[in-house]
Amino acid sequence: MSKAGMLYIERDTLFHRLDGAVKLIMLLAWTVIVFLFQDIRVFIVLFIIGLVLLMSAQLPWKRIRLLVWVIIVFNIFNSIFTILVSPAYGSEVNGTTTVLIDLGYEVLTLETVFYILTLSMKYMSLMPISILFVYTTHPTRFAGSLNRLGVPYKIAYAFNIAFRYIPDLKKDFISISHAMQARGVGLARGEGTLIQRMKHFAAIAIPLVQSSLARIDTVANAMDLRGFGKNAKRTWYSSSPWGRADIGIVIVCVIVLAVSITVRVQGFGTFWYPFNS
Amino acid sequence: MKMMKQSIFNLDTRTVVAIGIGAALYGLLNWVSIPVAPQTGLRPAIAILTVFGALFGPIVGFLSGAIGHIVFDLSSGTIWWSWVLGSAISGLGMGLVFMSKSFSIKEGRATGGNIATLAIVGSLALIVGFGISSVLDIYLFGEAPDKMLLQFIAASLSNITVHVILGVGAVLGLLKMNRSNSNLKVSK
Repeated sequence: MSKAGMLYIERDTLFHRLDGAVKLIMLLAWTVIVFLFQDIRVFIVLFIIGLVLLMSAQLPWKRIRLLVWVIIVFNIFNSIFTILVSPAYGSEVNGTTTVLIDLGYEVLTLETVFYILTLSMKYMSLMPISILFVYTTHPTRFAGSLNRLGVPYKIAYAFNIAFRYIPDLKKDFISISHAMQARGVGLARGEGTLIQRMKHFAAIAIPLVQSSLARIDTVANAMDLRGFGKNAKRTWYSSSPWGRADIGIVIVCVIVLAVSITVRVQGFGTFWYPFNS
Repeated sequence: MKMMKQSIFNLDTRTVVAIGIGAALYGLLNWVSIPVAPQTGLRPAIAILTVFGALFGPIVGFLSGAIGHIVFDLSSGTIWWSWVLGSAISGLGMGLVFMSKSFSIKEGRATGGNIATLAIVGSLALIVGFGISSVLDIYLFGEAPDKMLLQFIAASLSNITVHVILGVGAVLGLLKMNRSNSNLKVSK
């Protein structure tokens, strides 16, 4: 994790230069479009566009591969779990039944396999744009962009505080847990029963909460001294006016979103199954 | 520490910092999960919502839950908006007990009823909050309802366990500590 508690990687590409608010609009529009559809063709197109955009940001594969793996492993577990719990759900959605395997309690159908592929692609189509957002947006600029999008600045500032203090709290957590381990308080698997491990966790978390409460007072006093919250509006050190690229991308987002909604309202984009006779 | 209770809608500097630090703790501790079932674990982070809700009220609970969840998701790849909402509603429910006049952690006083309210309303908020998340997953992602129901039950059971044992336990500990810190007695 970077010093600021987020995964930002410094580069000079189009995405790094874009305003945080524009990237947030892009992420939100992308998410809404993914939510609208249930058609694997849409997700494959989005996934490919996302990958191309991700490559244009020149992020080192070494740094992003962990997140990619997290999502792939999530998809594998999610698929296995869905197959075990509702092996005929795809047939329910599509209205046809093509039996593949008889599992005893239920039958696994070809429709379900295709449904799971669609669902996995749905999650995968969100991955590139999310990684792009996470790695190219500086945390301190994130608060400013939220404020620009209409979130009250005090709430936006709370994001800043959270990002700012995660590394400090992490350090506290580690030193408390080392101090406790020296007294025989273990957290890892095999260092006690489930109940004992929960108790041990409490023995670490309670001092952490205590020191955080003291920290709240210190930080709040420091901010009060500097006049935080005196005015109804504030400016941000890192904010910059929107350039041509920023405005262009927002316009593209709005158009694509409008087209998607229109297409969806006209009935396209529900579950698509290629083997319908 | 300030002894006066403030209006819950008044976002003063202390409240803003409490939201930020609460979110940081919730986001950080979300990395800790003790697995009990497939895709479900005991998430000790839930206890942070209990403590911050009870200490600072429903607004701080709601925003700490939402911001903490977003911050965690931002460092793990994808923002799950439906679950952000679940965390936020849970935090809101944990904070409702704060509005009772007989309850104040800072002054170390609470009735048995307050503690029961915290435990019960908090548990209900976990059920409602993550219930809404599960329903949204069915509609927004098209997840299979049976599978979501199973996941929801497992997650609710583990979250309520953490809330009641760890969360309410920590609140009782804080109450006891603040009570013994006060040397003042009412003379009759």
